[in-house]
Amino acid sequence: MDTDALIDQLAHNLQPTPRHAADWRMAIGLLAGGLATLALIVLTIGLNPALDQVVRHYAFWVKWAYALSLGVLSLGLVRTLGRPDARLHRSLWLLALPVAVLAAIGTVEMARVPPSHWLAMWLGDSWLICPWLILALSMPLFIGLLWSFRRMAPTRLGLAGAAAGLASGALGAMIYCLHCPEMSAIFVLTWYTLGILMAAGIGALLGPRLLRW
Amino acid sequence: MREEELRTLMVRGLAGDARAHAALLRAIAPLLQAFYRRRCAGHADVEDLVQETLIAIHEKRASYDGLRPFTPWLYAIARYKMIDQFRRRRQTCDIAELDHILAEEGFEDLVGARLDMTRLLATLPAKQAEAIRQTKLEGHSVADHADAAGLGESDVKVSVHRGLKALAARLTGGR
Repeated sequence: MDTDALIDQLAHNLQPTPRHAADWRMAIGLLAGGLATLALIVLTIGLNPALDQVVRHYAFWVKWAYALSLGVLSLGLVRTLGRPDARLHRSLWLLALPVAVLAAIGTVEMARVPPSHWLAMWLGDSWLICPWLILALSMPLFIGLLWSFRRMAPTRLGLAGAAAGLASGALGAMIYCLHCPEMSAIFVLTWYTLGILMAAGIGALLGPRLLRW
Repeated sequence: MREEELRTLMVRGLAGDARAHAALLRAIAPLLQAFYRRRCAGHADVEDLVQETLIAIHEKRASYDGLRPFTPWLYAIARYKMIDQFRRRRQTCDIAELDHILAEEGFEDLVGARLDMTRLLATLPAKQAEAIRQTKLEGHSVADHADAAGLGESDVKVSVHRGLKALAARLTGGR
């Protein structure tokens, strides 16, 4: 086809693109994914039956804030990496901040109980399944983010996939808090983080395949 | 066409102005042709790549942030499309041409730097600007320039020194 004709065809019937179109698309993808994750919890493993008491405990909010802050920071990364001329900011190290705070809280918690309790605190009742649940619950969010990427132009596909996986893992973990019965910071620090990192790893592997354009 | 004009067209196109959008794509097409011809003549169908890139620019226009420079966005897409086509065709670059390609890759940065330099020099008194241009950018010796301009060597040295100092103050002190 002739380039001139192609240009005419592309410009024909041009729809305006609102300034924050990409952000809106991301929000819609995340909302749909988040609702699907929530539905998945309610329909399969169920909400925590003691949720009304659990939310009064500071440990619930520690968990939740940890997942939320990782999620928000990695969404910023996703947003950056959706642009073709993306440069990674120095603000990347901010991701270590929630981890450090949670580790500090975990240390304080451990210091308050006799060392014989440490193993139980660390493994809880669900260490074997927690990372896998988080990984599974992150999938709807990951799909939502992939969908929002269709209007974006990532050029570092592995990194963009990893960031999307990280964000969906963290936000999936945030929703998983509604089920999770564990209350110790070192449990969250280990097994939540492991689940979130698995999601990021899968994102890094799938990115180059799924994000090509 | 310059960055500012391209960006204006892009922003108007994003707002829904079809004519500006078409004008933008028409202005970009020769830039892309030059970009690809320089890099992969003989390796790929340049016109194919140009058209594919124009389509990508159209489809991915939401990924452009109107507050950021346009040209880096454009060439990032062009570069991605070129690498993607190489990958798809499992083509490799001839290693004999590698240094040529690498040299060309630095070309845009170089042009950008030169434009910045010209703009900065224009803020200096003409004598200092000329002394810096001749001795620091064009690579002439102080003696050559002194001869050509009919000045004393120490005069040239002082001009260069004062000019550089003024530029340094401007750069470190912000605008």
